[in-house]
Amino acid sequence: MTGKELFKKAVFYEILQGLGLTFKHMLFGKTMTEQYPREKPSLPDGWRGAIVQLRYDDGSEKCVGCALCEAACPSHCITVESAEREDMPQKRYSKRYTLDMTRCVFCGFCVQACPVTALASSKEYELATTDKRELIMEMDDLLKLGDKYFPIREKRPQYTEDRFNFFKQNKASGFPVAHVPVVNVPIAKKGAA
Amino acid sequence: MELGITILVTVLQIAAVLGVVLTHVAYLTYAERKILSDMQDRLGPMEVGPHGLLQPLADGLKLFFKEDIIPAGANKIIFSAAPILVLVPALIGFAVVPFGRDSLQIGAIEITPYITDINIGLLYILAFSSLGAYGILLGGWASNSKYSLLGGLRSAAQVISYELPLGLALVGPILLSESLSLTDMTVAQGGGIWRWFIVSQPVAFVIYMICAIAETNRLPFDLPEAESELVAGFFTEYSGMRFSFFFLAEYANMILVSCIAVVAFLGGWQAPLPALEFIPPIVWFLAKVYFLLFFYIWLRATVPRLRFDQLMAFGWKVMLPIALVNVLLTSIVKYFLNQWAEK
Ligand code: SF4
Ligand code: SF4
Repeated sequence: MTGKELFKKAVFYEILQGLGLTFKHMLFGKTMTEQYPREKPSLPDGWRGAIVQLRYDDGSEKCVGCALCEAACPSHCITVESAEREDMPQKRYSKRYTLDMTRCVFCGFCVQACPVTALASSKEYELATTDKRELIMEMDDLLKLGDKYFPIREKRPQYTEDRFNFFKQNKASGFPVAHVPVVNVPIAKKGAA
Repeated sequence: MELGITILVTVLQIAAVLGVVLTHVAYLTYAERKILSDMQDRLGPMEVGPHGLLQPLADGLKLFFKEDIIPAGANKIIFSAAPILVLVPALIGFAVVPFGRDSLQIGAIEITPYITDINIGLLYILAFSSLGAYGILLGGWASNSKYSLLGGLRSAAQVISYELPLGLALVGPILLSESLSLTDMTVAQGGGIWRWFIVSQPVAFVIYMICAIAETNRLPFDLPEAESELVAGFFTEYSGMRFSFFFLAEYANMILVSCIAVVAFLGGWQAPLPALEFIPPIVWFLAKVYFLLFFYIWLRATVPRLRFDQLMAFGWKVMLPIALVNVLLTSIVKYFLNQWAEK
C-alpha cells in the first residue's frame, strides 16, 4: 500500500466522494416524481389505452356488425350479435356489442381488424373501479368513451348516401327486377342425328 | 414549601425536555424521509398537510390505533417489557445534557438549562445506553421467531463490540477536561473553535461518530434490522404501540448520541468564535445537533450496508486498537502538559 492509498483510506476518501454526490443530488437533482392524481403524465401518440367505438359526423355509429374484431381478439373479450337494419335491409349493424375490459390486453388487434375503422385505442388508462362489472362495456359505454377521446369525427362516406337513396327508392317502388331478354335456343334432340 | 416548589419545577422541566425531545423525534422521521428523498431525486411525503408536514402526526395516530398483537408462543411478560426497556434508557440520558449556558431566574426559582448536572454524567449516559441492548436482545428472544432472534443476537454482538471503542473515544475529552460532567466538559471548551476537542481529538471524534452510528443501529451498521435479510430484525413481530416504542427509541438514541458528540467534541453550546457570542448558546447547541443529525441521514443515503463479519472485524481489529492508542497518547501528552504547567 502506497502512502497515497493509506492517506485515502484514513480520511475515508471514497465515502467522502459518495457524500459529495448525494449532496449534489439533494441541491441540484431534478425531481422525478409525478404527483399523480394532480399531475397527469403526457402520453405519447399511439398509446394503446381502452378500446372505444367511434361515430360518423352525423352521429350514427360506424360499426357494421361484421364481428371481425371478435375473430381477431386473442383474449376473446368481444362479443358481437349483428342484425339487419329495419329501414335498410342488407345493411347490418351490431344489435348487441360487448367488450369485456377486464380481459382485454390492449393489443389493438381489433382496431386493425375492423374494416370500417369503427374501433380505436383511446388514451383512457384510469380504468380502476370498485365494481368490476362496470368494466364489461356495452356499445353505449364504448361510444361514450369514444365521444370523449375522439371529438373530431369522420365524415360519412358519400356512397352511403347514395345507397340510402337507393334503399328509400326500393321501399317505395319495390326491388328492381332484372329484365333479361329470353332467347329461345333450339334444343337438339337426342338421337336425332 | 421550598421543597415543593423545587420538585414542581423539576417535574415541569422534565416534562418540557421530554416534550421537546419527542417532538424532535417525530419530526426527525419526517426530516429523514424528506432528506433521503431529496437525495434520491424523489419528493417524499407530500399528502398530509402542506408538503407532508403533518405526516408524523398521521403516522403516530395510525400506530396508536393498530391492533396490538402478541404472537402465540411468545414470552408475554418479556415481550411486553422489551420495548419499555429500549425506550427508557434512550430518554433518560437527556437528563444530564446541558442545552444552554444561562439559568433562568424567576423570583426565587432558578430554572437551569439542564434537568440535573451530576458529576458522572457521561458515565451515567454510557451505562444506560448499554442497558438498551438488553431490550433489543430480550425483545428478539421473546418473540419466538427466528428472524427476531437472529436480529437480537446480531444486535447484542454489535453493541458489545462498538460499546468499547465508543467509551474509549470519550476518554479523550474526559482526560482533557478532567471531568465526567457534561457541563464542565462544555465549559472547558470555551473560547473559540480551536479549543473544541474535535481539534485536539480528531481521531477520537471519528471513532465516536462511527461507533455512535453502530450503537444506534443506523446504516451502514443497521444489521440488526436488515430489511432484506431479517424482515425487520428484532422487532419483526411487534406491532402498534410496541413497535412505535422501538421506533421512538431508535430516533431518541440518534438525538442523544448527537447531543453527546456535540458536548464532548463540538463545544456544546459554545460559539465557534468569541465574536459570535451574542447569539444565544441554545441556538448554537441546536444548530450543532441538527447538523450531526443531518449528517446521519446524509450518510444513510450514501453508503450501503456492511456484511456482518466485516462489521465485527472492523470493530475489533481497527476501531479498538486505534481508540486504545489514542487514549494512551492523549494521557501521555496530557501528563507532560500538566508537568510543564506546574513548573
Ligand atoms: S385490444 Fe386486443 S384484447 Fe382488447 S379487445 Fe381488442 S383485440 Fe381484444
Ligand atoms: S367494430 Fe368493426 S370489426 Fe367489430 S363488428 Fe363492428 S365493424 Fe366489425
